[in-house]
Amino acid sequence: MGSRWTVARVLALAPDAGSAKAARALANPRTWSDLGSTSSLVWGKCQGSARSPYQVTVDLTEPSFRCTCPSRKFPCKHGLALLLMWVAGDGSVTAGAAPAEWATPAAPRTEPARPDPEAQARRLAERESLMSAGLGDFELWLHDLVRQGLATARRQPAGFWDTAAARLVDAQLPGLADRVRAVAADLHARADWAPHLLGELGGWYLAIRAWRRRAELDEAAVGDLRAVLGWPRRRDEIGDRVADRWWVVGLSQEEDDRLLSQRTWLHGERTGETVVLLDFAAAGQALKVAHVLGSVVDGEVARYPGAGPRRALLTGDEHQVMAGSGLPHATGVPDALAQAARWLAGNPWLRRIPLALAGMTVVPGEPPLLVDSGGAALTLAPGTDVWQLLALSGGHPVAVFGEWIDERLHPLSVQVGDRLVAL
Amino acid sequence: MTAWEDLLGTALVGTGRRPFTLAGCGVAGADRVTAGSPEAAVLAAAALAAGYRRAGWTPPTWRGTPRQPADRDERPECSPVAAQILELLLGRSIRLEAGTDLLTTGWLTAARASGRRPPYRLLPELLRFGTTATGARRLVKQVIGPRGTWLAGHQPAWSWAATVPRAEVAGRFATGTRAERLALLSDLRETEPDRARELVEDTWAAEPAATRAAFLDVLRTGLSDADEPLLERALDDRAGTVRAAAAALLEHLPGSARAHRMAGRARRLHTAAGTFELPGEPDEAARRDGIGGHREPGRGRAASRLIQILAATPLSTWDTSEISHADADVVLGWTKAAVRQGDQEWLTALARHEPTPDLIAALTPDIATDLLSGARKLDTRFGALLAAAPGPWPARFSTELVGRLRDAKAEAVLRLAARALAEHLHPAALAAVENWLLALGTGSAPAARTLRGIAHALTIRATILQEFP
Repeated sequence: MGSRWTVARVLALAPDAGSAKAARALANPRTWSDLGSTSSLVWGKCQGSARSPYQVTVDLTEPSFRCTCPSRKFPCKHGLALLLMWVAGDGSVTAGAAPAEWATPAAPRTEPARPDPEAQARRLAERESLMSAGLGDFELWLHDLVRQGLATARRQPAGFWDTAAARLVDAQLPGLADRVRAVAADLHARADWAPHLLGELGGWYLAIRAWRRRAELDEAAVGDLRAVLGWPRRRDEIGDRVADRWWVVGLSQEEDDRLLSQRTWLHGERTGETVVLLDFAAAGQALKVAHVLGSVVDGEVARYPGAGPRRALLTGDEHQVMAGSGLPHATGVPDALAQAARWLAGNPWLRRIPLALAGMTVVPGEPPLLVDSGGAALTLAPGTDVWQLLALSGGHPVAVFGEWIDERLHPLSVQVGDRLVAL
Repeated sequence: MTAWEDLLGTALVGTGRRPFTLAGCGVAGADRVTAGSPEAAVLAAAALAAGYRRAGWTPPTWRGTPRQPADRDERPECSPVAAQILELLLGRSIRLEAGTDLLTTGWLTAARASGRRPPYRLLPELLRFGTTATGARRLVKQVIGPRGTWLAGHQPAWSWAATVPRAEVAGRFATGTRAERLALLSDLRETEPDRARELVEDTWAAEPAATRAAFLDVLRTGLSDADEPLLERALDDRAGTVRAAAAALLEHLPGSARAHRMAGRARRLHTAAGTFELPGEPDEAARRDGIGGHREPGRGRAASRLIQILAATPLSTWDTSEISHADADVVLGWTKAAVRQGDQEWLTALARHEPTPDLIAALTPDIATDLLSGARKLDTRFGALLAAAPGPWPARFSTELVGRLRDAKAEAVLRLAARALAEHLHPAALAAVENWLLALGTGSAPAARTLRGIAHALTIRATILQEFP
């Protein structure tokens, strides 16, 4: 297995979001014993609800999982938790030990050691039929909602939305489930909840219809569809590479439940392309890759299939890193919004739209605004530290980079002199 | 009604109550989509129309007038390490049992002395700090610079740090609330004390008594002989609070006419033997000068009047050689006079005669530490003096002090003066503190905790000093 193991890669193997969550909770050396690993094998015993501990082995070459627990999920949470601890590299999983007898992969019960194209095709077909059935249910749910009206839907208890989200998770559609939960939270938080909800419903319905016609779609559209449904790409599916001098223009971190995720926005000097890197770490652990805001990385990225701005990975190991000088591609508000419209035309599900804005004046107030030289005003997202923005700008027009989400700007960095400062 | 409003209306009440078809719904491109039911039609139209709406969104135009930007700050920014320390202090990531604020204050003092500014991004946190730590406001205001005072002008909670443009001072003083006027006056006293006094004099006759007394209190900042005529007039004020405030301020001006009158009264009480007679009932002139009402704790009426007269008399009237055979009342009067007049010679002489926390606190750090290093007993009395001593303390005094405290196992002094030790010990004493900590056996847990706190403070203060050369 050539590519490096990461938390995100382990979690991508999870059959559903529940397993991933359970595995993160279980990735604690205290409940484990006899942990060890070689270059191709990781093993350990986990004390579960049964009297004797479960014996868990993972063969990294496939990867194939073996566990004595009675779970029907595959891989089970024990196997995932074992890999999470091993990936963390904090010494809890001893390296280089001889595997215990029970851990030797003499007779893997559940999975053959060699890749089996037939089995892979069967698993893929199973997943697709599960998703199709889930989307069919979701469509009926949407129809019911529209028949009864949005005003009725708004009066529904939280359980109404949670149940729908949970059924999407069961159907391996975690991306849609996240959007359903987010909308439920917005219903009482936004004054414009009705148009917002209607727009979201339209987007979900578009995903259902696009899924049915996925065979006719091009690779980029399928990539965007998979992203909105929450079916992540594996690393070996990543598409084309492009070399450039990549300016690190914005970092945003989020911590939910037990996962820390970071988005790193890059701007390519030669291609003018904007890409985003996603990194994950289990809660309480530091991210492996920390790109320095304002630096310039000379190197190659591999882009996931999809329309722009595309998700990408930095490839290769040796990158030359230099200091940058701010936001090279900042424009006024009209040009930035025109670019946003072009991106939306390519990917109707795009939620986070990167905007690089030049000459913005901070106007504190309720709500606080960023105003360009022509008076075009963007509303800053609730929770933005407007005082810090104001302190950094000193009332002068400044260049700001941020994520544009549902007509609110979440600023990530601001240019002070020729330096980028994180917000 | 637009196509979108029509669609939204249908969606709100539901297709169960209002029919909907894609044909003729007015959404561009809808005629190329098929939908098998009214629900599917609404959803498909929503998908199309929402796409147009998102891509075609145009920003509103702001028609306000932006404020004038902040003035340039010519000071260089502090080092990244110094900035990081300040950030940790303000974010309470560095904590100190004796009070994190003393380290923050130390940082600000060092920054002010070296003429470097904090990074702009920390200005909001600094203003929040000054809003709660009112004692540090003056220091914060001096360090935040033009950008900080500009920023403070945007947030009412930070108005204490905002500067009022010179041209607006008189207008605001005329129209502001009482608190605003006092803040304005206090600021102006720092830079233009005469102009501030003139503002007070302009409206003096029309102000209520409580405001007149509060104005006089503000004049304590930047007090000088130029303020004397106003204060002298205020001694005839209708209100007792105003008269008392004026008398209290005049005690700080040994060159004033009142001080001269007091000297006359004191000389008349001075006997040939060098002792003082107790004054009788005050006459009208003495009452005008504020003598009479106040009673010193534990002293009789006559003794209190003597103390009051001596406290208000210029010390140049006497000779420090008289201290050794003066009685307790006289020493107390002179002590008050020395503290109010800030007379280092008298403060030193009185402290050599019998040190008190008040005297020690009014001395310069060098003289105070010199006096303290001569102390024979490291008892709780010494602890109280040490706690009052101003800083910074010299390196040699600091190291020797820690050594002596350790040898004497003076844990009571350690407890009493923990904050002063953390704040004023020279970083050179860090090794001595750590050695003491190592030598402590079990059973001295409170002392060990205090020492660890002091060592922690010294480490951070050493870094701060290093970063502000």
